[in-house]
Amino acid sequence: MPILEARSLTKTFRRPDKASGFKGALKHLAQRKYKNYTAVDGIDLTVEAGESVAYVGPNGAGKSTTVKLLTGILKPTEGTVRVMGRDPHTERIANAHDIGVLFGQRTQLWWDLPVEESLKLLKHMYGVSDADYKARIAKFDELLDLGEFMPALARTLSLGQRMRADLACALIHDPKMVYLDEPTIGLDISVKDRLRAFLRELVDDGTTLLLTSHDLADIEEVCERIVVIDKGKVAYDGPIAQLKAHYITTKAVNLHLEGPADVPALTEKFPDFAWAAGASPSEVTVTYESARFSTAEVLGSLTARLSPRDLSLSEPSIEDVIRRLYAGELTQ
Amino acid sequence: MARVDLAFATVTFKRKIAYKTTWLFSILFGGWSLLAGLAVWSQIIGDGELGGYDWSAMKAYLVIGFLTATLAWAGSDWEMANRILDGHVAIDLTKPVDFQRARAAEYIGGMTASVPAAILGTALAALAFRPAPPVSALAALLTGISVLFIFPLAFCISYLATMTCFITQRFLGVQWAKDSLVAFFSGMMVPIALMPVWLQGVAWALPFVHFTTTPASIYLGRVDTAGALGLIAAQAAWAAGLWFIARLIWARLVKKVTIHGG
Repeated sequence: MPILEARSLTKTFRRPDKASGFKGALKHLAQRKYKNYTAVDGIDLTVEAGESVAYVGPNGAGKSTTVKLLTGILKPTEGTVRVMGRDPHTERIANAHDIGVLFGQRTQLWWDLPVEESLKLLKHMYGVSDADYKARIAKFDELLDLGEFMPALARTLSLGQRMRADLACALIHDPKMVYLDEPTIGLDISVKDRLRAFLRELVDDGTTLLLTSHDLADIEEVCERIVVIDKGKVAYDGPIAQLKAHYITTKAVNLHLEGPADVPALTEKFPDFAWAAGASPSEVTVTYESARFSTAEVLGSLTARLSPRDLSLSEPSIEDVIRRLYAGELTQ
Repeated sequence: MARVDLAFATVTFKRKIAYKTTWLFSILFGGWSLLAGLAVWSQIIGDGELGGYDWSAMKAYLVIGFLTATLAWAGSDWEMANRILDGHVAIDLTKPVDFQRARAAEYIGGMTASVPAAILGTALAALAFRPAPPVSALAALLTGISVLFIFPLAFCISYLATMTCFITQRFLGVQWAKDSLVAFFSGMMVPIALMPVWLQGVAWALPFVHFTTTPASIYLGRVDTAGALGLIAAQAAWAAGLWFIARLIWARLVKKVTIHGG
């Protein structure tokens, strides 16, 4: 039985339809008009226990709204959600016992109290035993260096410390299902690395994870499956490895030539490759289909006939693939 | 009271006393209001009597007004409202606690932070101004019980007011309206007995009267024991009724929660 199952999940909001300017404001005051806006449009999603799923999409695609529907914060306009067999909205309290939620842009720490006080309050909320609480705090300290800022007031923490403390808050009760909405937003590289390592360990321990992030490194390092949504609809749902295998069909070589690169002449000379001008007049990028040509073959041919000063290999990243999915250039 | 309620109340208590300057200002301001009230009413009443209050009884009324106002204004309406306005309610809804009960524990925990100031201020005022004593030991006890009912009443009224944020998306006007209703109809500004009869009728039909007028009436013996028990029963009924109404409203509003953005 899946841990999470959403069918035809839809959320429509009502937004004021107001013309700009003073006249528009007066008109809206006299005669209010609203427009319906569908943030999530008939999404089907099934997550099995122990899966780590990346839920990505451009800004405004409906990612956070979906998370709010799945966690029971919002009531769906249409469709159904079941998390561990429960409706998360109508059975909110029972559902909340089994889930952990982190919203990167909202803290759950009590702003003017030490971090420790927030965690202790959460301990009482979830009914965590003293022994379990101590063990989990010790683990968080080991993995997230929590101890160094446990006595500090939440408002005095750096963003990285705040996020680590929030992560501890979301996991203090050892939830079965964890939703992380932008957990690395605004963090520096070292803190991101640390958080990703922590999340990998969480997944390895069998926790089910749904992660939304704009940082695709989070996704590649932590998740096995990716769900791409755009305009409230699922654009892709499948394993990350499959996404790469399916869509990353080309490789590229960046060449730095001795003189200026003549792209039309090069295209004529090497008609099987795609040529594009590089960053400087003497730089050029050649793209080839990896199924047709081996890298050795391509490099051999290029170095023999062009004698470049320098060259480097590049492979389209998952970021490029997702960018193309967002742009509608690729379909599943 | 469950441990989690106590934990919520304790956290808010700690948060309140974390801002020592604000706390001190609220005591000073409360003390100033009492002094100003005493100065004005001593001029108005002089050696005479007004609405059944002589100067000694009016002093007692004003001290009770100080005590009840210190408690009634001690809750954190803005914090509750801001949870809704800034979308923090999203976090609250992911926690395995009853939203209303958690807010009640927080609110009342915040109010208790003002108890030392209320007690100290009342004791100092009693020593300095020698107001009329309670009419009997029983009246003193019933006054104490009546003061305790200010806690749930203040929460329910503030909670209902803050829930309007789901619709108004602003709180300032609602807060002003609520505060002026409480201040006027509780008798904190002017004793209800000095109002026109029809307005007294309106006041007694509302819950606000039970903040100041009810404890003061019991203390000063303006009602007999049966009347005092009736007033306390009315306080309890208002608290329970408002709690229940708030539950019904929340159940409807939570279906309409809209939180945009991450």
